[in-house]
Amino acid sequence: MSRTGSVLVTLLGLAALTFMIGRLLPLDPVLAVLGDNATPEAYQRMYVQLGLDQPLIVQFGHYLLDLARLDFGNSLLSGRPVAEEIARVFPATLELATVAMILGTGIGVPLGVVAAVNRNGWIDHLARILSLVGYSAPNFWLGLMGLVLFYATLGWVGGPGRVDFIYEFDLQPVTGFYLIDAALSGNLALLGNVFGHIILPASILALSALAYVSRMTRSFMIEQLEQEYVVTARAKGLGLWRIVWLHVFRNIAVQVITVVALSYAFLLEGAVLTETVFAWPGFGRYMTNALLSGDMNSVVGCTLLIGVIFVALNLVCDLLYRILDPRTR
Amino acid sequence: MTLRTRLLAGVACLAAAPAALSLAHAATPDNALVMAWNIDAISTFDPAQIGEVVTSEIISNICDSLVDFAPEEESKVIPSLATDWEVSEDGKTITFHLNPDATFPSGRPATAEDTVWSMKRALRLGFGNAAALTDYGFTTENMDERITAPDAHTVVLKFDLVYPSNLLLQAIGAYRITTTLDREEVMAHEEDGDLGNGWLNAHTACVGPYSLVQWNQGEGVVLQANEGYYGTAPKIPRILIRHVAETGTQRLLVEQGDVDVARDLTPDDLSALEETDGVNVVSTLKPQLIFTVMNLARPPFDNEKVRLAMKYLIDYQGLGDTVMQYLGKPWNSFAQSGAWGALQGEEGTPFELDLEKAKELITEAGYPDGFEATLLIGSLPWSSPLGQHLQQNASKIGITLHIEQMANAQLFARARGRDFDSIIMAWQTGIPDAHGNASRLVQNPDNSDEAQLTQYPAWRASYQDLDYNDRVAAAVAETDEDTRREMYRTLQQDWMQTGEMAVMFQSYNVAAIRDTVQNWTWNGFRTYYTEASK
Repeated sequence: MSRTGSVLVTLLGLAALTFMIGRLLPLDPVLAVLGDNATPEAYQRMYVQLGLDQPLIVQFGHYLLDLARLDFGNSLLSGRPVAEEIARVFPATLELATVAMILGTGIGVPLGVVAAVNRNGWIDHLARILSLVGYSAPNFWLGLMGLVLFYATLGWVGGPGRVDFIYEFDLQPVTGFYLIDAALSGNLALLGNVFGHIILPASILALSALAYVSRMTRSFMIEQLEQEYVVTARAKGLGLWRIVWLHVFRNIAVQVITVVALSYAFLLEGAVLTETVFAWPGFGRYMTNALLSGDMNSVVGCTLLIGVIFVALNLVCDLLYRILDPRTR
Repeated sequence: MTLRTRLLAGVACLAAAPAALSLAHAATPDNALVMAWNIDAISTFDPAQIGEVVTSEIISNICDSLVDFAPEEESKVIPSLATDWEVSEDGKTITFHLNPDATFPSGRPATAEDTVWSMKRALRLGFGNAAALTDYGFTTENMDERITAPDAHTVVLKFDLVYPSNLLLQAIGAYRITTTLDREEVMAHEEDGDLGNGWLNAHTACVGPYSLVQWNQGEGVVLQANEGYYGTAPKIPRILIRHVAETGTQRLLVEQGDVDVARDLTPDDLSALEETDGVNVVSTLKPQLIFTVMNLARPPFDNEKVRLAMKYLIDYQGLGDTVMQYLGKPWNSFAQSGAWGALQGEEGTPFELDLEKAKELITEAGYPDGFEATLLIGSLPWSSPLGQHLQQNASKIGITLHIEQMANAQLFARARGRDFDSIIMAWQTGIPDAHGNASRLVQNPDNSDEAQLTQYPAWRASYQDLDYNDRVAAAVAETDEDTRREMYRTLQQDWMQTGEMAVMFQSYNVAAIRDTVQNWTWNGFRTYYTEASK
């Protein structure tokens, strides 16, 4: 089966699974629209209007036809198209996760390399402690502690939300990425404010990515450092860091990319608690609210998007493998 | 500036972002009241459909009804869009005279025809708020005859029976059923015969002090004062409500002065904020009851003595001093404290924790060794502690309660489907009169499954007492105030002994407010943004 075919089958399977779960969960989509106090007549009317009186297979057929037109249906809560809602909230999460990923990878990869080269040295111990915190401390707790310390006590960063209220109306959304939109506006104070708001939640999120990326990079590196070609290169008189960055790192690049891509996908998907603590109007919080409110159209739309993200990142990884490792071509 | 130059400038700015980081906290602007509030529940701004507390509060500052509640006395009705009104001699007709200066934000004059159209629209749509009309005999069949506009500024409502006029006016004020919509604007956005319901999900078009400028679900709401408003202009032109779900975050924001008002705080947060300089904690009782409801279709809750025993398994005062501190006061009656006809003081709280009495009652009921049942709870902060408290006390007399916790949407679905043994949940009435809850928690017109009276908590619990049904009907038809008050008094006392619910608390609305905000004005039914100033 071609690559495109397998991607389509994967997404179709995901759509079928989430659709069925959505219909079988004991949540009432009509109540999500009408509220708890609707009359039986209004309830029945909405039941028919939402197509819930149709057999499940017919409902699924309609759903697939809509999906083919990139129509995820309307949010039961707001009545607006789900695609439009996701397009509104997703940039906030993408921006947060991207900054977190840049921080996590930018620090995590070099840290993992240096820790491997200086095994059991102080940098290795530091990397281990950072990993331990990143793995074990819940983001929710770290977020609150970070806010208390850096926002409320020291005043080094902005508070919850993407920007202070006084700038709310200065920011003209162009791309939905506030850092870029603020930069395009040329207003340095606004940009500083946006940066001040994103740096703490992104750092908290980055910690978990950093923990994963640095530990994996370290172990890949250690494995390679024990290979014969490294010993030979050293015997020939090549400097250690030259060997590490020019030869060894190239050999582990494919593995590191996989780890980074996986972390990125998890960051995009898993920013829910961080978004809640930081009042960050993003995708994770949108999906959680949709789930708790029984807005299954939105839940299915979000689930499919996550599926697409994983598939897309896999494709990107495959492409990079081919570029970096000729054996995979 | 060309696109290329803009991009270059943007890249340069991005590189400078850390250096530009402002360390100072930005205070809220003087021309805006900034609130942190969990506004997840907002789903529509259609006055005919709104049921949630948050949206009800916002819409009452956007759309005027014919009448309103006095800020200082919530059961007192005062003029709003209607400057005055007369009740006919036979008590069956109310004639409202509308303010001739009222205009919509579009500039179009608001007329009686708009009011009449809006009321009929609510009836046609049949959402929850239509009950404020259907409860008093209005139907889609008779509405053309009974809701009329003899001239541009007069609205006449004709009732089928004689009801206490104050109760009718309260219902009209509470359910926003007379919210006057700009019918031309709304109908311009009609789709598939929805009478503009889809458009009103995220827009408003009515006579009122503020207009909805923006609503992004899960993000925030922005209101802007209307310049042509016929009433007193709001002192603060802009209201910003930012969605903040986490209570700890709300506390930090109000402590730092980044918001003026925080609306969802835990007892711990509130206790700490009471000691914080620059922040005041304010509260008002709201017409919401928190209760355990038992399903009479399932033994042993079909037994009156078992239900009574459950009411003695709760340490109302102990919980009120701990878990529910700031959140609610102990209350056992169906009529909320403060409503017209409600019991006063200790009469409304006859129950206390009494394990011996509870054990005695279940023994008399034929369950000396106790029984097993499930207890459904939702995801609100008080759900779990209240459930565990009841579970622990029940276990002391041999009753095993299996707690099932679930999302509130699922909890409502189970309640409406009559699929439960017992549930801890809340109910809020819109009317500051004992009839508001009597007509839903006590009265059940048809207990059959087919009736699907899902908006009646009594029906959901399969609870129907024909004698009580008659007594509720008689009380609402009684025009002598003293007699009517006495009828509610005895009904409450009897129902507390036999009813389907163990009412535990009446909730408070609590907020932490910066001292830069003056005249924060609210009661159980309204929060008046127009009165606040900075």
